Amino acid sequence: MESTPSTRPAPRASLVLTDVVKSFGGRTVADIPHLKLGRYGVEGLIGPNGAGKTTVTKLITGAHSLDRGTISYHGPSGVIDLSQLPSHRIARAGVVKSNQVIQDFETLTIRDSLLLAAARPRDERFWYLGRSRTSAELVNDIDGYLEYFRFENPDRHALSAGEKKLLDIIRCLLVKPKFLLLDEPTAGLPQWETDQVKELVRQLGAEGEISILIIEHDLELMWSVCDYVHFMADGKLLLQGTPDEVRSDPTVIEKYLGGGHVEG
Amino acid sequence: MAYTIFAASSMVVYIALGTLLHLQFGRTGMVNFGVVGFVGIGMYGFGILVSRYELPVVVALVLATLITTLLAAILGWLILDLDGEAVLVATLAFATIVYYLTVTQKDLTGGVAGLGGIPYPIDVGLDSALALLVILIFVALLFLGYAHRLGRVPYGRLLASIKDNEPLARSLGKSTFREKLIFFSITSGMMGLVGALYASTNQFLVPRMLAAGLTFTVWIALTLGGRAKVLGAVVGVLISVALFDLVIEPFLPVPRWVGALMPDLQLMFYGLILVTVILFRPLGLLGGRQKAQRS
Repeated sequence: MESTPSTRPAPRASLVLTDVVKSFGGRTVADIPHLKLGRYGVEGLIGPNGAGKTTVTKLITGAHSLDRGTISYHGPSGVIDLSQLPSHRIARAGVVKSNQVIQDFETLTIRDSLLLAAARPRDERFWYLGRSRTSAELVNDIDGYLEYFRFENPDRHALSAGEKKLLDIIRCLLVKPKFLLLDEPTAGLPQWETDQVKELVRQLGAEGEISILIIEHDLELMWSVCDYVHFMADGKLLLQGTPDEVRSDPTVIEKYLGGGHVEG
Repeated sequence: MAYTIFAASSMVVYIALGTLLHLQFGRTGMVNFGVVGFVGIGMYGFGILVSRYELPVVVALVLATLITTLLAAILGWLILDLDGEAVLVATLAFATIVYYLTVTQKDLTGGVAGLGGIPYPIDVGLDSALALLVILIFVALLFLGYAHRLGRVPYGRLLASIKDNEPLARSLGKSTFREKLIFFSITSGMMGLVGALYASTNQFLVPRMLAAGLTFTVWIALTLGGRAKVLGAVVGVLISVALFDLVIEPFLPVPRWVGALMPDLQLMFYGLILVTVILFRPLGLLGGRQKAQRS
């Protein structure tokens, strides 16, 4: 759809974390005075293991509760305080996260799993025993993703870790998020599938419909897809900037990349 | 003939309850060990409404079902957020409370002396029991048809997702607690309806009917047949309860001393086939998809 110069595109969905603190058993795993996510299409969150990256995303999606602070979501329907919402409401509001550790529905086939993610509440009523009224657009989306990721037989169950990982990401996209959090989306994937995911992320970022935050240890991938990178260590946000700024920063090199890091 | 109709009615009741349990446990993962509690509410609710308050049968049936649904909703709201073991204990406790209430609330239930004068839903003279059997079969077929259809519609996928991985379902925007609560209330309410009809089959109610044995029989039948399969309860009931009550007991000439031991032998036999099936076919005779092995 062409947009005329007079109509400005709706601003991207963004998240603002204010004064967020979370500790487990006395150990503070996240302490973030202020963080705004969603200024750019694709942002990255990097840092050593145990830096609190996953914790931050889990706080956003309501999988963990906050000890203190607020997380506000600036989406198409105004500003929402996510810290007051249960996790399914956060997802419905448009903030969706893929999982670092493989998660799957063991008894659903690949296609059923995707139809589940695409289904809307009006179809999911106990008395409704008719045909699925999933919109043609979403069915097209499902077929598109199945083809893109070359699932040979979508009517069987996902078997390999890679298939489950991809399925997890596709399910998130079928919820039609405005803000998508990808937690190590390519960990454990073979190279060509990693490239597929990378291309997809880049494309989604360029379309400008959704904001993406991606956590990944594959730094080559991060430098190439991210417009902006946040660096965390020990639960704190230490640095933000463009990929070039972050990768050449002495703190990042010392804490994460290591002194012996030799890269162009 | 009267015995055969009574025994067949009981079979159909077990099949109906087993199918409801298949919906709750096999499809959604809700561990209801208080089946007999919901049956009891429907049974005594119906019995009290028709015999003490002399309400029309249809009105009493509807009210008994609604009361059971409402109580299930309250119980479910309290417990369905807990893990499986806690739900098991809580529902079992609920059924125990219902049992003791029928014993102690003599003004309403008649206590251990029993509650009589319960009519058949349709009075056609000598064939009334047969008419009730037909109604029960219709109800059981309705549940089976619903369970069958559920495998092909969005709601069935939603229930499966709750059973498989509830946090993941929630992260995709599914309101899992609400859905569990609604489904638990309705299916438990239907157990109440079956209980109300069963009250008519029995004509006379005593608290002993609400002992935990009924719950266990339904669970054993469903486990034998296959908890994840629509026809699991049917197959399970046929090879356990029906085998004894409809085949061995009426037709097999057993010596008197064996006859006296029959109830105990029956339980031993249940135990034996249950252990055998669990050892060799963990998902029941009809099987079903095994959960992926975790390595």
